[in-house]
Amino acid sequence: MDIRLTVNGSQHALSVPPETTLLGLLRNQLGHTGAKLGCDVGDCGACTVIVDGKPVNACLMLAGQADGREILTIEGLASREQLHPIQRAFEEHASLQCGFCGPGVILSAKALLDENPDPSRQEVRDGLAGNLCRCTGYTKMIDAVLHAARVMRNETDHSGAKVEG
Amino acid sequence: MRAFNYVAAGDIQQAVRLLAEHGSEAKILAGGTDLLADLKSSPHPPRMVIDISRTQGLGGIEVTDKGLRIGALVTHTEIMKSSVIQEHFPALVDAAHTIGAVQTRNLGTLGGNLVTAVPSMDSGPTLMALDAWVVLAGNSGNRQMPLTEFFKGPRRTALKPDELLMEIVIPAENIGKPVNFLKSGLRKGQALALVNAAGSLWLDAKGRIREPRIALGAVAPTVIRAPNAEKCLAGQVPTPEIMVEAGKIAAEECKPITDFRASATYRKEIVEVLVKRVLMHAHAQALKK
Repeated sequence: MDIRLTVNGSQHALSVPPETTLLGLLRNQLGHTGAKLGCDVGDCGACTVIVDGKPVNACLMLAGQADGREILTIEGLASREQLHPIQRAFEEHASLQCGFCGPGVILSAKALLDENPDPSRQEVRDGLAGNLCRCTGYTKMIDAVLHAARVMRNETDHSGAKVEG
Repeated sequence: MRAFNYVAAGDIQQAVRLLAEHGSEAKILAGGTDLLADLKSSPHPPRMVIDISRTQGLGGIEVTDKGLRIGALVTHTEIMKSSVIQEHFPALVDAAHTIGAVQTRNLGTLGGNLVTAVPSMDSGPTLMALDAWVVLAGNSGNRQMPLTEFFKGPRRTALKPDELLMEIVIPAENIGKPVNFLKSGLRKGQALALVNAAGSLWLDAKGRIREPRIALGAVAPTVIRAPNAEKCLAGQVPTPEIMVEAGKIAAEECKPITDFRASATYRKEIVEVLVKRVLMHAHAQALKK
């Protein structure tokens, strides 16, 4: 079937078999391997991408259902010049170890902060509940998301120093 | 995933016509959170997938003269964000919030949760405690039935092969009825219910319980009501003792299984506690009105 979609700002027109998932399309057709194939049934969140502003499991969406939609993957988050504030906070808080879950976790965090720029710790936990991590125990991820939120609200810089009004 | 044919239905008529044409060879795709997982593991995948995820006429949440209408395609996230539902039925927001996690709630639909009909579904109990009914679209017209008659067994519903769940309606007389939902799972996120429960009640002019409803999930082949527990409450003064008693009766009238998540005995104990608590919360809501 024929599909048109926008991935990280670039438009694509492709033809894929109907049983192709959005995850398969991103990884195999477009070479965006940031979204990972983990459980393949929507439990682990490693395949999380943002579709029309909402985080979803790309393994649970058919490519055909993404027709006409706008997709953001981890490849579209940083610019050539600098990391996204969430990525930078993850780096500074040493929030990832093996990193397999990272693209999904960071996109879940991005979707959360886009909607709620000042989340409570509990809201961050809830926003990341769909992403499994077997290395870190989550604490440093949650710290990083809260820190990134403060940076994005211009309340602090990445060192944690207060931004002078 | 094995190969299948795919068609996106533009409207409800086209969807039911395709269902009639392809019969048991076809499967409906809405949010996909259950269907895609099934398609990947099924030894007998369908030949045709009918995508209704963008079909017209299946979305929306609104109050009509019949009651609160929720389109089958409404996602769990949309339920959580709906100001109408937040105002009248915070328990539906609570129930939606316990489903999966953000990613699955963004995809998964209320209709899909009901049609998949797993006994531990989190959408069923609150709706059943509010006497909700479902509207089914078919080639020979629409029909409606109470949710209690819609569930026929684990993963079995009253839907005929050429029918589609169109919408869910909470009757007008129950808009604003005090209701509470609680779930017990092994974790907060991404966990199936060991037991879930919803309770609703009105208070009459003398402060006695009127039209009590108790609905339970994960303790029988389908979501069920607990009629004996309801009977023990009807017309009674709402005391903590009577709510404890209703919990005990509900635990007796459900039939949970033992599996790797929990034993039947443990599930019955949770039923006892959850029923007491949902009744106390519903009562507290009723006192505020």
